[in-house]
Amino acid sequence: MKRILGVALGILTAIGGFVDIGDLVTNAVVGSRFGLSLVWVVAVGVVGICLFANMSGRVAAASGRATFEVIRERLGPRAGLANLSASFLINLMTVTAEIGGVALALQLASSVHYLLWIPVAAVAVWLVIWRVKFSIMENVTGLLGLTLIVFAVALFLLKPDWGVLAGQALAPAVPAEETAPTYWYYAIALFGAAMTPYEVFFFSSGAVEEGWTVKDLVQSRINVLVGFPLGGLLSVAIAGCAAVVLLPAGISVTSLSQVILPVAEGAGKLGLAFVLVGVVAATFGAALETTLSSGYTLAQFFGWSWGKFRRPVQAARFHLSMIICLLVGIGVLATGVDPVLVTEYSVVFSAIALPLTYLPILIVSNDPQYMGKHVNGRAVNVLALAYLVVILVASVAAIPLMIVTGAGA
Amino acid sequence: MTSPELVPLLPVQGRILDAQLHLLDRQVLDHDGVPVTTVDDLELSGPALGEEIPQGTPAPVLDALLTGPVLGTRIFGGRPPSSRLIRIHWKDVADVGVVVRLGVGGEGLDASWVERWVRDKIIARIPGGRHDPR
Repeated sequence: MKRILGVALGILTAIGGFVDIGDLVTNAVVGSRFGLSLVWVVAVGVVGICLFANMSGRVAAASGRATFEVIRERLGPRAGLANLSASFLINLMTVTAEIGGVALALQLASSVHYLLWIPVAAVAVWLVIWRVKFSIMENVTGLLGLTLIVFAVALFLLKPDWGVLAGQALAPAVPAEETAPTYWYYAIALFGAAMTPYEVFFFSSGAVEEGWTVKDLVQSRINVLVGFPLGGLLSVAIAGCAAVVLLPAGISVTSLSQVILPVAEGAGKLGLAFVLVGVVAATFGAALETTLSSGYTLAQFFGWSWGKFRRPVQAARFHLSMIICLLVGIGVLATGVDPVLVTEYSVVFSAIALPLTYLPILIVSNDPQYMGKHVNGRAVNVLALAYLVVILVASVAAIPLMIVTGAGA
Repeated sequence: MTSPELVPLLPVQGRILDAQLHLLDRQVLDHDGVPVTTVDDLELSGPALGEEIPQGTPAPVLDALLTGPVLGTRIFGGRPPSSRLIRIHWKDVADVGVVVRLGVGGEGLDASWVERWVRDKIIARIPGGRHDPR
């Protein structure tokens, strides 16, 4: 019974933890401009993140090594440092976006300007990282994030023409008012939102935090294989809501209030209350994960003592680096830069940086010295190589498309 | 590497370690499993670079694992003066596997002075810094 509860809890937190500010904003933007014609990208991204999380979780459980230790060992100091710089900066950008997302959601709930909420949100993130047990942190934010299911409820209450939605989803085509480069630019953004590198740093480091062994692999596989696809359905519901309400009205999403507007229209005040809780929980949870990830990447690269399972004094540089990251995030947001804009760039840069973390994990998960008999099976390798191609193409195409489309304008 | 002037080490029982593959950039744990640092570079005994090597010189042996600023010089070139090197003596190494395990505690090592400084000057002074999360 306890085991079933454990599995259920793991699945639920995986669903609730799947959506972050990047998924919220990108799916709503895409829904409001392209309808459901980019849903296939969410599917590609979900399969990809399942595969990636499966490999990095297995590396962590079988060898006890987290992602960035492995990256440095395999790539050496130079390429490793270049990789660290890119991954760390993009992760810092995501930290900034998530804290901004928490602040924006709190502004919607309270009518207090978001700039005032930013220090509050950042201090709250730090307090949780400083004090709260890892598993409690994961479970509470994950379960509260489940309230985002209200997007799916609202989609039903909006009584859309399901035939039209299915048509958009099953026969994808570039809408008449958009260009093909913009379509592909947003395809990459959506892919980056679903397959963010921090999820993998967090997932593999979390496996070490929770002391996974090979025995826990089955449960982790269930969590990932069931939780992430259901989380992906939430993403689709967000895009669907935007496609039903905002696309016909000609509103393209540029703010968080527009992301949740369809929920207010479909599910009323109660729906609005749920979606606000959900957005705060999802962005807050992701802010925790990204902030921890920035500490994880630095500590693992330089070999510092790290982990929330240790007292802060036993992982001093790890905690100091996270405090500095949060301060940098506050500083960037204090300039008044639009958090939604930061989010839109962060997902694209995530897609650009993805090969840097994907390739070393793919190599190590085939290395018997680390993995013993838990190396990748043939089927996983075939799929992983196919994804390597997809990831490389997305990464290489992102910057030219960003320039050609003026960042999707 | 196989200069004919050097007398080969006596054949010894044990494993062959590749410095690049098994030592460099590996995580170092102390005897309690607490991470200390990463192996940033190695120090070998023997003649300095560019020095004439006389006949019959014994082959160099590994003296110490290096850490700290030496990482910067390994990436960007150059070499810090010997007095600035932070060493973990090879005799303190207990085991080399996927990680390098030391037979001593990390607390007293030179290699962990930054960690100690950050802990004592900053982290320990923030309320709750000694709180056990579990």
